[in-house]
Amino acid sequence: MKNFPLLMSLVCLMTLLPARADVPPKKITLSDFPAAAVDEVVVPVPSEIFAVLDKLGNPNWKSQLRDGKARTPEDRARTALLLGNIIAEGFVAVEAEDAERVKEIGRQVLTLADAINVRKSVIARCKSITDKADSRDWKGVRAEFDGALQDVRAAMDELNDRDLSQLVSLGGWLRGTEVLTSIVQSSFSKDGAELLHQPELVNYFDRCIGSMSPRLRKNPLVSHIRDTLRKIGPVVSESGPSITLENVKFIHSLTSEVNQQIVLGSEGN
Amino acid sequence: MTTPMSIPFMPLQLRRLIAAGTVLLAVGMAPFLHATVDDSVSFAYEAALPYYKQGFTIRKDAWGGDLGLHDRKAVSAQLFKGNTYWFLMATEVKGATLSVHIYDDKGNLVEAESWQKGRFAGARVNPKATGTYFAIVQILKSPEDRTTWALVYGYK
Repeated sequence: MKNFPLLMSLVCLMTLLPARADVPPKKITLSDFPAAAVDEVVVPVPSEIFAVLDKLGNPNWKSQLRDGKARTPEDRARTALLLGNIIAEGFVAVEAEDAERVKEIGRQVLTLADAINVRKSVIARCKSITDKADSRDWKGVRAEFDGALQDVRAAMDELNDRDLSQLVSLGGWLRGTEVLTSIVQSSFSKDGAELLHQPELVNYFDRCIGSMSPRLRKNPLVSHIRDTLRKIGPVVSESGPSITLENVKFIHSLTSEVNQQIVLGSEGN
Repeated sequence: MTTPMSIPFMPLQLRRLIAAGTVLLAVGMAPFLHATVDDSVSFAYEAALPYYKQGFTIRKDAWGGDLGLHDRKAVSAQLFKGNTYWFLMATEVKGATLSVHIYDDKGNLVEAESWQKGRFAGARVNPKATGTYFAIVQILKSPEDRTTWALVYGYK
């Protein structure tokens, strides 16, 4: 018992000390992480990019809207790409505050979702898009388009259509990048161009295609998109966040061309 | 030990996990279900609630899995300069503590602030440049061999 005072002092000291402090190191070596400890890139939702664009000024969104209505393709890969593309177009229509176009895009989303068996997942979203466009609740419509993209992908994952689900994301990214490059080049700023600094995301999409089924990888459109990504990758990697106007134009020409093929199919060649 | 509900790191769809949990229960594996990721997702959304009220848009997707004590995992994310992001992490394991911190692609700690409170942790970043960032998640303390965790993020 002669150690009792010492023991009590230790107990008191331990009570007073804070729990193991969580002090993160100022620097870590990412290459030390085993491959299994670093996982796939979190793909941003379109409204994350549009939130920044909102702060950069007030571009002419109406001029970015695409004319016409795309026909539903028979090819499921192109349908998935087109679905992502059309959802991204929905964001442009929201920015342009074009209620009729927003509603038309909502209907197209439903038709395309139907073609790849995920209609049920977006019925409520599409109705909400129409209702919110009627009441000009643009923030609400934007949230519904974000939700539609995520719901469609979730439904495809449930159907074990992970490849098609990735193509939906890719289709959205390609149309978003086309619009972004168009806006940035029309009123060039370093901050605007920096939004294109997405090297890991470009590599990620390339890897996604690489891990798809051989049938999909050999799909001429998918294969063409992979070639396009491999041209964009070095441009957004090597220049770091400082992307030149020339490179913005280059990325725009690549994405415009590939999006035309997504919308028109072989007619787009 | 890996629990029957242990899943590799992947985007989570809550409904699917609930469905998977139901199936496991149905086949009599309930005694082994120490922790489920979907519960951790619920806690992560709970941690995100105050930020939602501050105007942050919280993504519907969540990321998660399970980790051993002191194991770390890097979740890479494309972040955009001009937005502010909050990453919120949680576990459903009672008595566990965890952390989340944000690093840039050069491995520099870039978060503007972070906090850690029991089963919840959060970190805020205002990216100085658009690019790839890493949310490093870690289990600091846990009564379990493997601790389920979930991460969500919001932006404005």
